Amino acid sequence: MNIIVLIKQVPNTTKVKLDPITGSLIRKGIESIVNPDDLHALEAALTIKEKTKGKVTVISMGPNQAVDVLTHAMGMGADKAVLLCDTAFAGADTWATSLTLSKAIKKINDYDLVICGHQAIDGDTAQIGPQVADWLNISQATYVKDIETINNKEIIVKTWLENGFKRISCDLPALLTVISEINEPRYPNIEFMIQACLDKAPIKIWNAADIGVNTCDVGLEGSNTHVIKTFTPDFKRQNETLTGSKQESVSQLLERLKKSDTTIAHIF
Amino acid sequence: MAQFISDRRDIDFVLHEQLEAGKLAEMNEDFEEFDKKTIDLIVSEVRTLAVKEILPTQKEGDEQGCTFKDGKVTTPESFKRLYKIFNEGEWLAMTESPEWGGQGMPRTISSVAAEYFNGANYPFMMYPGLTHGAGKIIEEFGTEKQKQLFLKNMFTGKWTGTMLLTEPNAGSDVGALTTSAKQNDDGTYSITGEKIFISSGDHDLTENIIHPVLARIEGAPEGTKGISLFLVPKYKVNDDGTLGDFNDVICTGIEHKLGIHSNSTCSLALGSKGDCVGTLIGEKNKGMKAMFLMMNEARLLVGFQGFSCATAAYMYAINYAKQRIQGKNLLEIMDTNAQSVSIIKHPDVRRQLMKMKVFVEGMRSLLYYVSYCSDMAAVAETEEEKQKFQGFVEILTPIAKGYVTDRSFEVCSQGMQVYGGYGYIEEYPMAQLLRDCRITMIYEGTNGIQAMDLLGRKLGLNKGKTVMDLFQEIQQTVIAAKEIAELKDYAEKIEKALNKFGEIAMHMGQTAMSEKVLSAFANAHPFQDATGDLVVAWMLLWRASIAAQKIEKAKKKDKPFYDGLIKSLQFFVETHLPITMGNLFALKNTSSAAIDIDDAAFAG
Ligand SMILES: Cc1cc2nc3c(=O)[nH]c(=O)nc-3n(C[C@H](O)[C@H](O)[C@H](O)COP(=O)(O)OP(=O)(O)OC[C@H]3O[C@@H](n4cnc5c(N)ncnc54)[C@H](O)[C@@H]3O)c2cc1C
Repeated sequence: MNIIVLIKQVPNTTKVKLDPITGSLIRKGIESIVNPDDLHALEAALTIKEKTKGKVTVISMGPNQAVDVLTHAMGMGADKAVLLCDTAFAGADTWATSLTLSKAIKKINDYDLVICGHQAIDGDTAQIGPQVADWLNISQATYVKDIETINNKEIIVKTWLENGFKRISCDLPALLTVISEINEPRYPNIEFMIQACLDKAPIKIWNAADIGVNTCDVGLEGSNTHVIKTFTPDFKRQNETLTGSKQESVSQLLERLKKSDTTIAHIF
Repeated sequence: MAQFISDRRDIDFVLHEQLEAGKLAEMNEDFEEFDKKTIDLIVSEVRTLAVKEILPTQKEGDEQGCTFKDGKVTTPESFKRLYKIFNEGEWLAMTESPEWGGQGMPRTISSVAAEYFNGANYPFMMYPGLTHGAGKIIEEFGTEKQKQLFLKNMFTGKWTGTMLLTEPNAGSDVGALTTSAKQNDDGTYSITGEKIFISSGDHDLTENIIHPVLARIEGAPEGTKGISLFLVPKYKVNDDGTLGDFNDVICTGIEHKLGIHSNSTCSLALGSKGDCVGTLIGEKNKGMKAMFLMMNEARLLVGFQGFSCATAAYMYAINYAKQRIQGKNLLEIMDTNAQSVSIIKHPDVRRQLMKMKVFVEGMRSLLYYVSYCSDMAAVAETEEEKQKFQGFVEILTPIAKGYVTDRSFEVCSQGMQVYGGYGYIEEYPMAQLLRDCRITMIYEGTNGIQAMDLLGRKLGLNKGKTVMDLFQEIQQTVIAAKEIAELKDYAEKIEKALNKFGEIAMHMGQTAMSEKVLSAFANAHPFQDATGDLVVAWMLLWRASIAAQKIEKAKKKDKPFYDGLIKSLQFFVETHLPITMGNLFALKNTSSAAIDIDDAAFAG
């Protein structure tokens, strides 16, 4: 069973501050990490590999520094890694990104499963997985919380719904997007990590020509959506003191909440 | 952002700017994998594992401790998962040969792991730490069969290891031990005896435990000359590597102690039912030589244990001092409207933090330097160079163990002081760090024994050449620093101390060989103090010299760091070196009062 895992280098948004004037993320000096959901995707792939043999290849699109996340992935036990790196890829929206990734997957060709994280913490779109599946014209399951069985032909997974679960069977090849509840990612193994740092480590770097895309179809040029502005909503806190006895103020509060859209069950 | 355990910037400084660890990769093909990029990646992973997985088990481990019930030792709950993660990462044998599952990493780099992992929870780290040391003995002195049966399983952490020296009547004097070994027809030995205070002696983390045991073969001479070393597994190991019967190593109890609650300290009865079998490791009656290999490594490790408590205490203290609001700025004390300030603004708190900073930095450089010397000895191209660096490791071992743990405990105590009452209560981390740190001054040869080792053996090592080599090394740093205008004054003061030290070392060496030998050894500990101070002064001067050259062109965020290194030197030279000088003057007296006084004159 050969598995491809898509991973992304993201700024550690738990530590990112917003520029109070421009409202955009201040990325400078913020450490880069592997997108958390993607670690779960890789863990899922490695677990399947341990049972079924085969190879796990990780692909990341990003600048040169993104080689660090590939090294991390190899430290966890991935067999090969590909960095899609070309100035032409820069500024891509999800459409252009998924096209680029799917071209690379097509070039690898020999795969049974593609696994990616449910979403990236810097964009929160959750679109890449489904779009890649679409480009590749393969079946997909999103929000995967559990992989029940897998054989050469099909995979049965449990996916998360708001009020329960769904069991889905997909023909292979298929694409899964996984959520963090699926597993606990392992830490890199020091031996693998040292191997991944060597010059001879199997980390390949492919540019636009290598994966056979026209530069006008990828990156900023190939994008259909463009960000006009990122900003933090100007949200002024308002507070109001409810007076009267405890009983009175609680009833007032409930009245107020009923009128607004707030679901009371969520508050308590 | 608050950092835990250690200051990453300072670690990077020691690795890359002071010792230039990346260059080891160019010096020897065994190290070629470890260029700067790989080192940085390893450091990051080490830190992540330490902070995310090991640190959260520290307090829980302390509170739960180990328990002994129905003959079984149970470790804290969280240790089982952690032990598994630790082994999956293959951290146990980083520096060992790939042949036995290691990664062949230079010790300079593995020092980072020693610092972070131990700082996160060193009582836990003693389980893999002792395993590593015991494995080293087998690697060095074991037969091919012993290696095949035990080594891989130990270096992968599948089984753990220990060291069994101490007995009720054989503590500092190992030669007094009475555990006996009787040869069987098949060449194995039946072992009988009782060992106490055995760290990790029994636990529930692994299916088997391998004990290197010091014992006396029947009829062997008294004292250390008649001691042999045996490998005694908890469960016998069959020739095909599978586990056999219980080997009659019974844990009869565990100690209740001041600190390191989560590491079991066991009493072990060997062969009480006549069924404990061991195999000889190394030559008959040469057990001490083999054990010393482990003990030297263990002494450095104990230095790291103590130090890691100190660096963690320092990091906590800085964070706390920045947050705790208490008292007004001294200059506004009369102003009733003045706001209270964070305690880091108070001169006396700054003094304490500075003292902690200076010793933490000096000791970090010192410990990493000892590791660096063993790497340099390993890659040395000439016999002379090898002997020089090996000599440095040996002469600095009592400093790295004895001096460093003494000072580390002081640093922990300072940290507690910075916290005020909150430092003394168990809700905050200081109390545990102080408690855990204390044993490092006692086990692995008490610090008194370390001081005697320095004076009695190490000073005269290689006919005094090693101490002279060390002198020269320090001198070179001093000469270079005198050329840097802003350091000239400090360098000269250190040079003066160095010269004084040379004179005193000679005096102490001579006195130790004269009829005043007892007086000399009554002063061995202050002599160790002075030696350690001098090495720390050297390290601080070395660090400040690099800083002074880089500060001008440094990036904005690096400037305060480099400036801080120069301030460390200034603080040490102006506040501590005069005390060292005083100590050196006192050593010249080599006071005999402690010797001359009648036992009856002590109270009692
Ligand atoms: C928590 C813990 C864990 C331990 N782990 C291990 C272990 O894993 N394996 C193991 O074998 N042992 C272990 N030990 C034992 C430890 O190494 C000894 O306690 C230590 O070596 C001191 O021996 P002792 O306790 O018998 O003290 P003693 O030897 O009785 O020493 C008492 C005092 O006298 C001094 N003294 C003794 N002899 C001399 C001398 N000749 N000259 C000058 N001063 C002297 C000592 O410095 C000390 O201050 C451990 C002990 C503890 C408490």
